[in-house]
Amino acid sequence: MTTIQLAASALAVSLSYYLGANLGLILRFPPATPSVMWPPNAILTATLLLTPPRRWWIFLLAALPAHLVAELGIIGEWPLVLALFVTNCSEALIAAVLVRRFSDAPGRFDTLHRVVAFVVGGGILAPFLSSFLDAGVVAALRGESYGAVWRARFFSNVLTELALVPAVVICVTAAPAWFRRASWRRQAEALLLGVMLLGFGIVLFTSADLAAIPGLPRSPLAFLLPLLLWAAVRFGPGGANLGLLLTVLVAIWAVTHGYGPFGDLPARESIPALQVLLSVMAIPLMCLAALIEERQRAEQALAERLRFEELLSRLSAAFVHLPSHEMDQAFETWLKRLGESLSLTRLMLLRVAENGHDGQSVTIAHRWSAPGAPAPSASSAAALSNGADWHRLLRDEPVPTPGRSDLVIPLVAGGRILGGLILDAVSVSQRAAASRLPELRLVAEVFAGALARKETEDALRASEVMKSAILISLNTGVAVLDRDGRIIAVNDGWIRLTHDEGAMIDAGVDDNYLQVCRARADEGVPAAGDALAGTEAVLARARASFALEYVAGAPPAERWFAMAVFPLNRPEGGAVVSQSDVTERRRAEAEAQRHRQELAHFTRVSAMGELTASLAHELSQPLSGILTNAQAAQRFLNMTPPALGELRDILADIVDDNKRAGEVIHGLRDLLRKRELSREPLELNELIRDVVRLLGSDAVIRNVTCTLELHAAPLIVIGDRAQLQQVVLNLVLNAMEAMVECDAPDRTIVVRTGMELDAVHVAVQDAGPGLADGAEQRIFEPFYTTKPAGMGMGLSIARSIVHAHGGLIWATRNPERGATFHLALPATTSVPA
Amino acid sequence: MKEAATVFIVDDDPSIRRSLERLVRADGYRVQTFVSAREFLERADMKKPDCLVVDVRMPGQSGLDLQQVLETAGSTVPIIFITGHADGPLAEQALRAGAVELLAKPFDGEVLLDAVRRAIGQR
Repeated sequence: MTTIQLAASALAVSLSYYLGANLGLILRFPPATPSVMWPPNAILTATLLLTPPRRWWIFLLAALPAHLVAELGIIGEWPLVLALFVTNCSEALIAAVLVRRFSDAPGRFDTLHRVVAFVVGGGILAPFLSSFLDAGVVAALRGESYGAVWRARFFSNVLTELALVPAVVICVTAAPAWFRRASWRRQAEALLLGVMLLGFGIVLFTSADLAAIPGLPRSPLAFLLPLLLWAAVRFGPGGANLGLLLTVLVAIWAVTHGYGPFGDLPARESIPALQVLLSVMAIPLMCLAALIEERQRAEQALAERLRFEELLSRLSAAFVHLPSHEMDQAFETWLKRLGESLSLTRLMLLRVAENGHDGQSVTIAHRWSAPGAPAPSASSAAALSNGADWHRLLRDEPVPTPGRSDLVIPLVAGGRILGGLILDAVSVSQRAAASRLPELRLVAEVFAGALARKETEDALRASEVMKSAILISLNTGVAVLDRDGRIIAVNDGWIRLTHDEGAMIDAGVDDNYLQVCRARADEGVPAAGDALAGTEAVLARARASFALEYVAGAPPAERWFAMAVFPLNRPEGGAVVSQSDVTERRRAEAEAQRHRQELAHFTRVSAMGELTASLAHELSQPLSGILTNAQAAQRFLNMTPPALGELRDILADIVDDNKRAGEVIHGLRDLLRKRELSREPLELNELIRDVVRLLGSDAVIRNVTCTLELHAAPLIVIGDRAQLQQVVLNLVLNAMEAMVECDAPDRTIVVRTGMELDAVHVAVQDAGPGLADGAEQRIFEPFYTTKPAGMGMGLSIARSIVHAHGGLIWATRNPERGATFHLALPATTSVPA
Repeated sequence: MKEAATVFIVDDDPSIRRSLERLVRADGYRVQTFVSAREFLERADMKKPDCLVVDVRMPGQSGLDLQQVLETAGSTVPIIFITGHADGPLAEQALRAGAVELLAKPFDGEVLLDAVRRAIGQR
């Protein structure tokens, strides 16, 4: 309450007090001192009931001038006037303290409990007690009879308190709202009732005819009872109390003017009689009004409860099978319905979003406000961002926002807070809002369930969207088969591959993949038969997966495809077939292969240069033998007699030498021929012997001793003879060249073979200077060389050949001197026929 | 016919060895063959040969090594070298060391026999 409001209230109290005092002075029998009714006390009581005790002194002080102005003119004695003010105040204070002590709502008279608390505390006890003081003051200062004064004051004060306090309180607190809200019919009814009470009252009290009818009640009040009951039933405590006040005023007016049932009695007797009668009538009427009000409220609550139950069941029904994408709209709709049916001003639905690693963020997802109400602000959501409130939410407690009537009800599902329902009810008190909690928790439960479901569905849809986006973006064609091989779904890539690029199996959705494969296989496409068998095996779960590469189309426009079949991991079975165009990869591989072969050829040719000396010697031997033998034969033939016996041996040697020369030529041709890779089983020991034999004369020339320590059992590998010969040749030549600078006796090469696990191992050991630091790897790099005239290609070629054979090549330093080159190739246990 | 002359042939290649033996024998000489310098040094009767035909390159001791050994031992047997590699420096070294001839394979038999005759004639 602001200072201005406080001052205005104090002024209003002062004014009321003054008017009440004047009214009290009017309503009395001059010259009798006590009034029939003395309103100032009741006005003070009503004021104290409506204001907090710490402000009481303000209002009591405000009433003092009014008291002095009103009373000094009549009584004229300062001490008495002041003493009477004290007694007036004492009544109001006693009444206010007692009512506040025993009533749960001192300013209301709408339950039996509150009415009784008021009647006993304010209506009876306060007047009873204060009248002693009053009588004492008057008796002492005026010398009047204590008992007479006490009695007069007591009855007057009881009636005033009962008739006036509730009426004043209701006029101040409830009446303005009632006038604003009540329909014009209700207002007209109330007006009619007031007019009738006033009219009938005056007529009944002033009419002498009624009293003349024998058997009728003497009091005209009896005839006003129906109107008072009407007021109580139709307008509750407010109607009853205001009706009562009107009746009391009319009755007092009548009696003070000599009318009414007690008209023939002297004033001294008729006044207490009227006071008692009115008081006794007032109490049950107030109780009745309160009971009716209570009953109506209970019925209303029940009706509201039923209405809410119905609302809740409709709400649950609306959300139970709602698709996720319609949920936002449903939230909007239902916030509005809830707000309207619960008479709220604003409602907000908060969503809690997981915010990466830094926790959660709160956003207002939906909001509703009653027409005319200010739009909801973000302040409530902001208020929730502070930690304390979240802790309360986590403990599943509703959070009242400080200083407001907001309530935040957490939406909890699966132990996680998904959001909050903020109830902003500015027009109702926080307590009223809190009374809706159990109901709102039910609403919150439905909302939380819906939110949880929406979250799940959204996540599911996001994952679906992701999957289909991945499938669409793939260049690989993907088809999903059911357990019978029927195509359930394909992606764009599949359509592209089968329609535009001519993959083998042109089948779309609803075609049976197996049947299409079978048809192509019958047409004589061998890969289709393989694909059919593999796919069937995967569908039958006989194989974990199946992969195939095949070519489609005729050269040079042929295309290569890789297909793979994986089982579909679900109870209904099925499989996923993927196909991709690997033509580019194939071409690149072929290109690389061609390059390697060209390079191998090149190095073979250059190796030939290095071998020339050796080859010349190799050829000169048999040629020399042939020539010499032939010339010897000529001589034997020229002898007389010709020595024919020698000729047989000579010719045999000539044939052998010729063959030997032929072999050299063949070996040379093999070495020079540019060939495709062949894959055949080879015995490595034999291959090594051949190479070392080929290099035998070279070894002699270079003064190198070449020792073979070969594995006893045959070592079979699959590969290209010429290429592997090339590797061994390169390694042995390399070893020889490494020892150029060594002393002749040290020039030794040891070639070892062995079997380690499933690999054939070849080691070529030299006694040269060994490897430079870090050269173990680099020596295999192209153009890496330590020799002045070397190309640096020998070991590089050897490595690419070995890799092409699925093998490994590496170099190590020997413990003493020189280096050893190792070669490991996959062994073949059985020799294919 | 030069009855008494004996020619020793040292060569590791069996075909070469046999063809030379036949050629020299057909020309009327007595011939003994050896597969290596080592066998020659172990088994040959150094009083007999009138001429040696030696391959330059052989496993183990080479023809030039043999020539050195013989020279050191004070032998004056003329030596004819044969080789599969007609490399100049080698020929020069052999001839400077007193060899009669160095023949590159394949060579004409008549040339060899000429050399043998010249060698024996030197003695």
